[in-house]
Amino acid sequence: MRRVFRIFGTRQIRREVDDELAFHLEMRTQRLIEGGMSRDAAEREALRQFGDVNGVRDNCVSMDEARERGMDRATTIQELTQDVGYAMRSVKRNAGFASVVIGALALGIGANTAIFTLIDATLVRTLPVQHPEQLVIIGNPARTNSSSEGTPRTDMLSYPLFRDLQRQNHVFSDVFVSGRTGRLDVRIGTSGAELEHPRGRYVSANYFAMLGVHAAHGRVFDGTEDQVPGASALVVISDGYWTRRFHNDPAAVGSTMLIDGTRMAIIGITPPVFTGDIVGVAQDLWIPASMHDALAPPRKLLDDRNRNWLLAMGRLKSGATLAQAENDVPRVLEQFIVDNAPPQARQAFLASTPKYWISSGAKGFSRVRVTFQAPLLTLMIGVGLLLCIICANVANLLLARSIARGREMAVRLALGANRGRLVRQLLTEGLVLAMIGAAIGLLLAWWGSRALLALAGGRGSYSLDLGLDVPVLAFTVAVSFGAVLLFGLAPALRAARVDLASTIRSGATSIAGGVLASRGQRAPLGKLLIAGQVAMSVVLLIGAAMLVRSLRNVVNVDTGLDRAHLIIADIDIGSRGYQWERLSTAARTIHERIAALPGVVAVGYSENGVFSGTESGSSLEIPGFVVRTSSDSNFAYDQVSAGYAHAIGARLIAGRELAPSDEGGLARVVVVNQAFASFYFPGASAVGKYFHVSDSVTINIVGVIADVRDHDLMEPAARRAYYPYIHHDVQQGTPVALRVEVRTAGDPAALVQQVRQAIGAADPNLPIEYIAPLEELMMTSIIEQRLVAQLATAFGTLALVLAAIGLYGVMTYAVVGRTGEIGVRVALGAQQLDVVRMVLFDALRLVAAGLVIGLPLALLSARLLNTQLHGVGAADPVSIAVALAVLLASALIAGLIPALRASRVSPTQALRAE
Amino acid sequence: MLDRDGGLLRGTLDVLILKALTWGRRHGYAVAEWIKSITDGELLVEEGPLYTALHRLERNGWLTSEWGYSDNNRKAKYYSLSRTGRAELRAEVASWERYANAVGKALAAASPLPA
Repeated sequence: MRRVFRIFGTRQIRREVDDELAFHLEMRTQRLIEGGMSRDAAEREALRQFGDVNGVRDNCVSMDEARERGMDRATTIQELTQDVGYAMRSVKRNAGFASVVIGALALGIGANTAIFTLIDATLVRTLPVQHPEQLVIIGNPARTNSSSEGTPRTDMLSYPLFRDLQRQNHVFSDVFVSGRTGRLDVRIGTSGAELEHPRGRYVSANYFAMLGVHAAHGRVFDGTEDQVPGASALVVISDGYWTRRFHNDPAAVGSTMLIDGTRMAIIGITPPVFTGDIVGVAQDLWIPASMHDALAPPRKLLDDRNRNWLLAMGRLKSGATLAQAENDVPRVLEQFIVDNAPPQARQAFLASTPKYWISSGAKGFSRVRVTFQAPLLTLMIGVGLLLCIICANVANLLLARSIARGREMAVRLALGANRGRLVRQLLTEGLVLAMIGAAIGLLLAWWGSRALLALAGGRGSYSLDLGLDVPVLAFTVAVSFGAVLLFGLAPALRAARVDLASTIRSGATSIAGGVLASRGQRAPLGKLLIAGQVAMSVVLLIGAAMLVRSLRNVVNVDTGLDRAHLIIADIDIGSRGYQWERLSTAARTIHERIAALPGVVAVGYSENGVFSGTESGSSLEIPGFVVRTSSDSNFAYDQVSAGYAHAIGARLIAGRELAPSDEGGLARVVVVNQAFASFYFPGASAVGKYFHVSDSVTINIVGVIADVRDHDLMEPAARRAYYPYIHHDVQQGTPVALRVEVRTAGDPAALVQQVRQAIGAADPNLPIEYIAPLEELMMTSIIEQRLVAQLATAFGTLALVLAAIGLYGVMTYAVVGRTGEIGVRVALGAQQLDVVRMVLFDALRLVAAGLVIGLPLALLSARLLNTQLHGVGAADPVSIAVALAVLLASALIAGLIPALRASRVSPTQALRAE
Repeated sequence: MLDRDGGLLRGTLDVLILKALTWGRRHGYAVAEWIKSITDGELLVEEGPLYTALHRLERNGWLTSEWGYSDNNRKAKYYSLSRTGRAELRAEVASWERYANAVGKALAAASPLPA
């Protein structure tokens, strides 16, 4: 009886208490009436004797409610424990089946968690610092490795601008800056030690204090290191670097290292959790920014108002908001630019609406974020679809299983279990399978996310915090629950709808009949699932086809270079301190040696070169050219050898190439590319024209070469000017790198070794950073695209295989159910071919249903891919055709086997089975 | 112990209710009447607290309840002792006897010093 009470809730409880008290009062009243009172007087006396009826009633009601709740809780817990127990036993009983399901789920959930871990690490996590939400970035957070000169900018800051910002802002309690060091040449220990190149960062003295990062050992910068530039030869190292390089030796603190020729003392080590302010790159050490000019001659940046190499972060005062910062900071930047920019740049600035880069700093700076964002989201959709397909397969498996368990369900129902409870039990079984799958999936994700990151790293390596944190765990649990609903609900509902009598009555061979109930049903749920799988496979296949085609377009783009015949070498001149004369001699000697090799068509050398990862930028003024936005005066440049265009295979369009006679003096002549020429001198030939750079230096244009994609296969060439490499222009500065471009007659890979030896012979002093055919470098530069295309193809293939297996399963099933019908048809004269055709049409109908849903979905999601597609429209017919062809072929193969089997059914066999 | 007005303190009420149900199920009114009659009218049960106590004891799991019909065919809620209720009653009775013995000894003392 109590079970009945449970469902009724407070109203029932209240009623019961009222009834109970009413009974008591009535008894008391009766007694009083027997004693001689009138009814009215008796009732009043009874009430008086009782006391506070309402109070008592309320007390009783609340106690009863508490009791009910406790009982409910106890029952629910009891039932859940029971269900979990059933589920575990069921799993153990069908270990083989369970492992298939768990394996599939582990794969699906693991893949999703892996991608989400990467998304979490790049897009969601905040910096492990104090109150990251109070931090505001001033500058472009992706420009962590850039520097530019010529005019003040809003996306990168100069040191004087940082000082102004510190003093003149109204919203920050303080501001720090952080800037690139370029490659550091470091020697640790004895003077004969090897050169090393740890990752460093220049930071202002208030960096650690502002972030709230305390030293784990020793101390960090205390804010005084900026006071006298060049005086604080101190460095703070990271825990990772301390472990890797110093093996956790406590004597590291206080020891010294030679950085770019200057002896610096290690004063402290940061805690393991802190790896810097850039997500994706782990810093090894931090140097006070005020040390820059002492360490890296000859570029003096600390007082240069036009040298932009820093990114800033401010911490909001209490009560200040990001919106206030967005209003306050531009004021300071604008004032600075107006005061310090060259006239034309200032005009352009004032005339345009400049873009200010002010954003939340909670997630730190990051270039990786920008690179990974689109690919990761694409992959997320891909694995999501894959999981749905896997769930559909699992659902089919469970459906098949539930047929085998039809008897068990029927008996349970007959013994009085209610259907709701049965469904809950089956769902719990699904949940147990999913949880085990999720646990394994977490391991897979741990491994997979790291593997993916390593693959994407290419030449360098990324560093991300891929640890398990709350969002990732929550995601895994949510995905598991979602998966259970997807694959478990339908089979559970189906199993619980068993028709009792017919199932128990029917013999072992047609238990199928019980669940399938009527003749015409033939597993409609299974068919629905297949259609769904086909739909999702279509989306994945079309997406993969588009990505692959897009990749092909990118790889095969016309770069304007002789890309199949180039070797690129990067020679380390910085660590040896090669400058000016010594550098020129070395470059020339290397040039001669390599040119003398058989099979070499031409040799060139440059500071930045082709696909080396570095670029130089500057800004100019051209009399008569009206600058509309401040970026209009920016251009990229390189310092190159004479005959450079010929060396890299670029076409000369007008004028002449740089000649040896241009070398050696002041760098006053350039060759420009087509983009430069047509932008600044539209309609006219640029040859003979000139432009001004910093401090009214005039540069003359002597030639125009065709545009070359020398950094990025996907972006068209920027405006570029080519200066002579060998010069005496102190203003320009001696080149800081030497890249050699070797054009070969035949396969460049064959000559790599000889080129290496030639360089070694020319100057044994100079280490070679790397030497590789250009194609290799190009492939590395698009490693993310390649990875995404490969993964998309893998997903598409996997989806196809799963869908084909599912289709095979359902068709086999359907054929079994139609055995009788087929037998009759054959008896009536149908040929084998007719039967095959019939079954195949059935299969194709299913696929068609899936296509009807899938095709529009695919086109929709292709639109999401837009930013990653090059040369491929969102409705690319070739991709669609290829995907459909593959799908149909798989469907035909999957349906063929059941079809053939059906065609071999003899009428007598079929009729006997009935 | 009794308070000034001859009413019952809470702990005592509980054990009396448990005792009242020793011989089978009773409704609240019957319990009240039993306590009054068995103590020869010495102990007066306040009815409100009695019902509060009954519900509390049920919540604690010492009583179970069911609805039935009284002698005069009215619907009434009957309480019975649960297994744990019986155990509780035994424990309470034992401790009451110990308590009563101890106080009795003290109050029966004839001399200031123990014998």
